[in-house]
Amino acid sequence: MIFYDYILSPSCYRVRLFAAVIGRRLDLRAVDFHPGQEHRSDAMLALNPAGTLPVLKDDGIVLTESTAILTYLAAHDAPAWLGDDTPVMRARVAQWLAFAQRLTDSAGAARAHDMLLAPGDIDALRAEATTALRELEAALSAARRRGESFLAGNRPTIADIACFPHVALAPDGGLPLDPYPSIRLWMRALRGLEGFIEMPGIHRLHELLPEPGPMPDVIRKERA
Amino acid sequence: MSDQGAMRDHWYPVGMTKQLTAGGRDTLLMGEPIRVYLDNGAPAVSDGTGRSLPVIDRFGHVWTSLGAPNRDLFTIPEADQPGRRLVDVGVCRVRCSPLRAVENFLDIAHFPFVHTDILGSEPHTEVQRYEVEIREDVDEVWATKVKFYQPQAAKSAEGGITTDYMYRVCAPTCSVLYKTCPPKPGEWDVIALFVQPLTETLCEVWPWMALYDDAAEMTDLIHFQQMIFVQDRSVLENQLPALLPLDPGMEIPTRADMTSIAYRRWLKRHGFTYGAQLVAA
Amino acid sequence: MTTDWTPAALSRDIPAASAAPGQLGETDLAIWRSASGRIAAWSDRCPHRGMRLSHGFVRGERLSCIYHGWGYGEGGQCVRIPAHPELTPPEAIKVPVFAAAEASGVVWVADGTPAGAPPEFPGFEGFRSLRIHAPATVLARAFGGAGHVIEGTLGPCAVVALIQPLPGNVSALHLLAPEGAGPATLDALSLAAEALRRTAEAQAEQAEEETA
Repeated sequence: MIFYDYILSPSCYRVRLFAAVIGRRLDLRAVDFHPGQEHRSDAMLALNPAGTLPVLKDDGIVLTESTAILTYLAAHDAPAWLGDDTPVMRARVAQWLAFAQRLTDSAGAARAHDMLLAPGDIDALRAEATTALRELEAALSAARRRGESFLAGNRPTIADIACFPHVALAPDGGLPLDPYPSIRLWMRALRGLEGFIEMPGIHRLHELLPEPGPMPDVIRKERA
Repeated sequence: MSDQGAMRDHWYPVGMTKQLTAGGRDTLLMGEPIRVYLDNGAPAVSDGTGRSLPVIDRFGHVWTSLGAPNRDLFTIPEADQPGRRLVDVGVCRVRCSPLRAVENFLDIAHFPFVHTDILGSEPHTEVQRYEVEIREDVDEVWATKVKFYQPQAAKSAEGGITTDYMYRVCAPTCSVLYKTCPPKPGEWDVIALFVQPLTETLCEVWPWMALYDDAAEMTDLIHFQQMIFVQDRSVLENQLPALLPLDPGMEIPTRADMTSIAYRRWLKRHGFTYGAQLVAA
Repeated sequence: MTTDWTPAALSRDIPAASAAPGQLGETDLAIWRSASGRIAAWSDRCPHRGMRLSHGFVRGERLSCIYHGWGYGEGGQCVRIPAHPELTPPEAIKVPVFAAAEASGVVWVADGTPAGAPPEFPGFEGFRSLRIHAPATVLARAFGGAGHVIEGTLGPCAVVALIQPLPGNVSALHLLAPEGAGPATLDALSLAAEALRRTAEAQAEQAEEETA
């Protein structure tokens, strides 16, 4: 599978992250989105007339929406990530995949504005993003009351992967995550997934590694 | 308006030459609105009153000054060596002091925690003693004999190596680092950080490189450096206070921070305090 | 600054081996819980380069800064500087520490030593913390009360509302719900809390327009 990628794009990261978590190898093609505007080149527009990233090309199929790419990879390699086939879980996955687009259009656009000088009404973008983040916080706090850690149930799905990047990177667009304790715990659960990879702006959980020894405070106690 | 002090008479990057248009780019330099544009095909800069500002087109970027610079913009002689690839990395805006952005660039001890498994990794966290001086003849801060263990030092590096570094502060908001060049032993790769101070707590950063690397795609080189810089960005936006403290009591350095200590001392000595805090608030 | 206890977070929102940002008046805090479960509230600033410690990571009984990995243990004492693994950090490298205690599922913080333990609300437990873009007085009034600790009814049930004033005309609402309340009640309470937020924010906006 050939994946047209940009390292700083949260939508591209959705796919890189998911591929890493399910162990799918992607043939990465870096596209000079910034500063080169290569996504608007003739070659890239021929592949994706919308001029957006990411793009996935596989045996006779070209996909240009990151949530569709997640669906494709999951169906191909890891169907459990689509959720089970109960009406509630299936609908929740679809609901949050659509919600992920709202995050792209609000928090994602605020980040592109603040970091890469993309045009946009920053106050309006942040207001829309705040509405979305509050909605996510409420849903995740309800999930916690049900004893669930993820958006669609008690296991992660592509819906979590789709929403995670723009939420985790919201501070890049001037949207601190301090007010959202349930979002913080949900992000922590996702960062703890086996095979998790970071992108610039998202740190890995250093707490998962042991502290390298010898530890000076232990030595000091021994001396005392 | 904040006091631009002695920094007013220095050169600052304000745009990438290749991206200039006749319509221009409206931006800020130390709190003052400026426009960077093409005038009959040549880069030009004007301030808010329409006054023309001095211009230098060098290292792929347009440089200007609000004041009267009494010396030429610094040079990077290595950049003229044949066979190097010159890489315009593109702009990244950061809500931080321009001086904090430079100081972070001079720091190696954060590599294992912020650039994990790329420029550093636990348990290889030790910073060996290195040498720092202010070279009076050129009035630059230099750090030499810097060594650090790196899992993937550059796009062209395969596997971990101990990388040698030299750091150079050649203007209040510009620094150049020289590091081991895996494809060409004996030569140095050149990576520069050009910082445009928009305000005291907001800057636009223009990384630029002159590398010996025939194998990698240009886009991969750009993305590698963008990745590294944006990893730093979330740290830079979360340092308190936002201004760089020049009061030695405010922040505690160690031997690993000798370059930063020299940089802060050099800033203070010259009155380069736009983006700095002289006394604790 | 007062030495009274201020509610800063809910215990359930800061599980073992994690850190979160918090606030005490104008002071930014890193509130964190060690692997063994001890809660602490420190200045949210690494003494080395000023990085927010709430972005850091908890290993065992220490909080480490994300920037250079400096590790801090009991009393805010620096115990490890990775750049100098053999060095015992000087005693002087210390993060300012604030008082922190838990009661009724709430993390309370204070500057100095408060006279007594933080208040208990028997029969109640932590429910949700919400950030509200309205001053504490406006929020209290929207709730139909006054002060920073209000016992009353919200939506379907009795609640304790702890209102924490934050800088910039913002408040945190730490809401306690009756122990053992059922899922339907709590879902309705959550909706009622959000309705309260809308009301308070609309009133704050209106007050701002009137002054402008």
